[in-house]
Amino acid sequence: MTIWDILLQQIINGVSLGAMYALLALGFTMVYGIIELINFAHFNVFMVGSFVGLWVLQAMGIVGQGHPLYGLALIGVLLTALVVTMLITGVIGVAIERIALRPMRNVPGTAAMITTIGVSYILFNFILLGAGADSKNYANPLPSVHWEIGEAVLRLREVLVWAVAFGLMLGLNFFVRRTKMGKAMQATAQDQEAASMMGVDVDRVVVIAFFLGSALAGAAGLIFGLYYNYTSFIIGYTAGLRAFTAAVLGGIGNIPGAMLGGILIGLIESLGGQFLAVRWTDVIIFSILVLVLVFRPAGILGRAAPSRS
Amino acid sequence: MTQSHGTTSAWSRALLLAGAVAALATLGAAPARAADKTVKIGITLPLTGADAEDATLIKNGAVLAIEEANAKGGVAGYKIETVIYDSGTATAGQYDPAQAATNTKKLAADPLVVANVGPQMSGEGKAMAPILSQADLATITPSSTNPDITNPAMAGQFRPKGKAIYFRTVTTDAFQGPNMANYMAQILKIKSVYILDDSGAYGVGIADSYQKQAEKLGIKVLGRDQLNPKEADYTTVLTKIKSLKPDALYYGGVAQAGVKLAKQAYDIIPNIPKAGGDGVQGASFLKGVGFPAANGWYATNASPHMLEDPGVQEWIKTYQARFKMLPNDYSITAYNGALVVLDAIKRVAESGKEVNRSNVRDAIQATKLKTLQGEVSFDEHGDMLSKVVSVFQYRHDPKYPDDDIIHQQKYEGVAPAGS
Repeated sequence: MTIWDILLQQIINGVSLGAMYALLALGFTMVYGIIELINFAHFNVFMVGSFVGLWVLQAMGIVGQGHPLYGLALIGVLLTALVVTMLITGVIGVAIERIALRPMRNVPGTAAMITTIGVSYILFNFILLGAGADSKNYANPLPSVHWEIGEAVLRLREVLVWAVAFGLMLGLNFFVRRTKMGKAMQATAQDQEAASMMGVDVDRVVVIAFFLGSALAGAAGLIFGLYYNYTSFIIGYTAGLRAFTAAVLGGIGNIPGAMLGGILIGLIESLGGQFLAVRWTDVIIFSILVLVLVFRPAGILGRAAPSRS
Repeated sequence: MTQSHGTTSAWSRALLLAGAVAALATLGAAPARAADKTVKIGITLPLTGADAEDATLIKNGAVLAIEEANAKGGVAGYKIETVIYDSGTATAGQYDPAQAATNTKKLAADPLVVANVGPQMSGEGKAMAPILSQADLATITPSSTNPDITNPAMAGQFRPKGKAIYFRTVTTDAFQGPNMANYMAQILKIKSVYILDDSGAYGVGIADSYQKQAEKLGIKVLGRDQLNPKEADYTTVLTKIKSLKPDALYYGGVAQAGVKLAKQAYDIIPNIPKAGGDGVQGASFLKGVGFPAANGWYATNASPHMLEDPGVQEWIKTYQARFKMLPNDYSITAYNGALVVLDAIKRVAESGKEVNRSNVRDAIQATKLKTLQGEVSFDEHGDMLSKVVSVFQYRHDPKYPDDDIIHQQKYEGVAPAGS
């Protein structure tokens, strides 16, 4: 492989990884933008999403690998799995907000954030007890189609990750910028009190933010499973922490920032692993985070909404 | 330990007295318990997390031996109780050395515990050994292979009180890693290799010993890197490996990282031989990876391969009937480990000495026991005298279920020894 093949291959790897981080980062950033809460339950909503996706695929009769589908059957199965997974994780997100976080909304201090850590552990242990601790061999309906560009290889599963991630991100961007509800979200993010005085139903905005964020995490969970052919009850922690870093890197509360941050973290991970060593990955990522926080505390793109203080 | 003897004998004296005094008849329950003569054997294994599958197979082996002994009326008048501790934690997602240490302290605090079977992993073993040494409590591991723990040069760290307390019914990575390097050089004719480990005690150790031998044999080591077992994405390092075009990949580590590595390696470097130690030999790895990705992986075991011996078939049937699952080779080493403990208890009791930890430890040290894996006996550091390493290759056989560990791998023979 020439250096260009290697570079291209690592960019393909990095963008795929980054697309998943970006989907996950959007959930952190939306909730933070609106109620200034770091939602650690999001880590494990993602993990639950990958299990829900697995169960939906299994319910459609897809078990293990080596039984690929083609054409419309493949698209139908993937779309069904995606929609059902997103609905279920979205509802889980709403339930978390309604049951655990709304009573905490006006409690000063870190109580709400600590509640999200508790909820995260509940989801974690729920899956651990319900599904067992072993690594799961993910159901995989994708045929092993690939294209070669020089010696770099682009696989169908990478195209799928990109299509799902960028499609959902464009959809979200449209929703936030163009729809009435999206504008209400922006207004709430800018000033919750003023928005509610203008007739915005803040509770509803928060519910929608949780629903969308968790649904995106569910989608990330499903494509994670399809991409790696693997899931386990512990996947939330590392991916969640990286995605959270991505959100901070891009500018927490800033939706395009989360997308940019996710892709950047993915690329840093793959190129750092190629040119240094994978054992330094975390050191590189978190050093960059520290540098960004020192020199540009608001993140690369800055906070979209002015701080309420 | 001596202190707890003191309390035990003081107790029995008090109870004799109590028996004589009719007014204290309410204490009658206590002497009855003493007359039953119970001793306990600990079993410490990572029963939750990525290693749970194989840990359960090991636990069942030890439990089977103890149940059989109790069914025959106990050992020299002693009823054997098992104390099972889980050393896997949800936060680690696999074995957790800190939890293993906590469990060992609990075992050490119970004077009736005379020996332990476990751990599965060397990472646990390293945390447990100093505590075991302080408590004079012997353990027999059926699968932990890191040589440091029994290395006399490191005795100050792992057995500060001097006597061997860490016995094994398997050999160590001082043989497992190098013998696989021999196998690769002599039989697979490998000229260059890339080496990965999973940053655990076992993984780093076996990868080091493999690397040393590979370099000695003239296999070119094109690189060495370390995987984070909690990370999901190994495509980066695999792409790097692909670009270096090695003849083979060697992975030192256990299932948590191994499963993801094997799946992604199947996509990125499908055609080069890939191998690992006993960390990728077993149900946790096979079930997590599945076929076709597991196909072609080589794995070693630090014990002879016994499951296909005609003499073992009867035992396999018993195991299967009792636990509704198939055993692996380390179920047998665990069964044998428990037999070694039971045999030691028997010899101590029959010699008229008190059945306590330090006597049981001495008896284990002197073991000469015929078992399903041949004669088990130990050197003065706790290592087994027999040093056989077996090689396997995963090969898909569609006649059997995909996770049938006995039929989905082929025994390739004993790995060539010697340096």
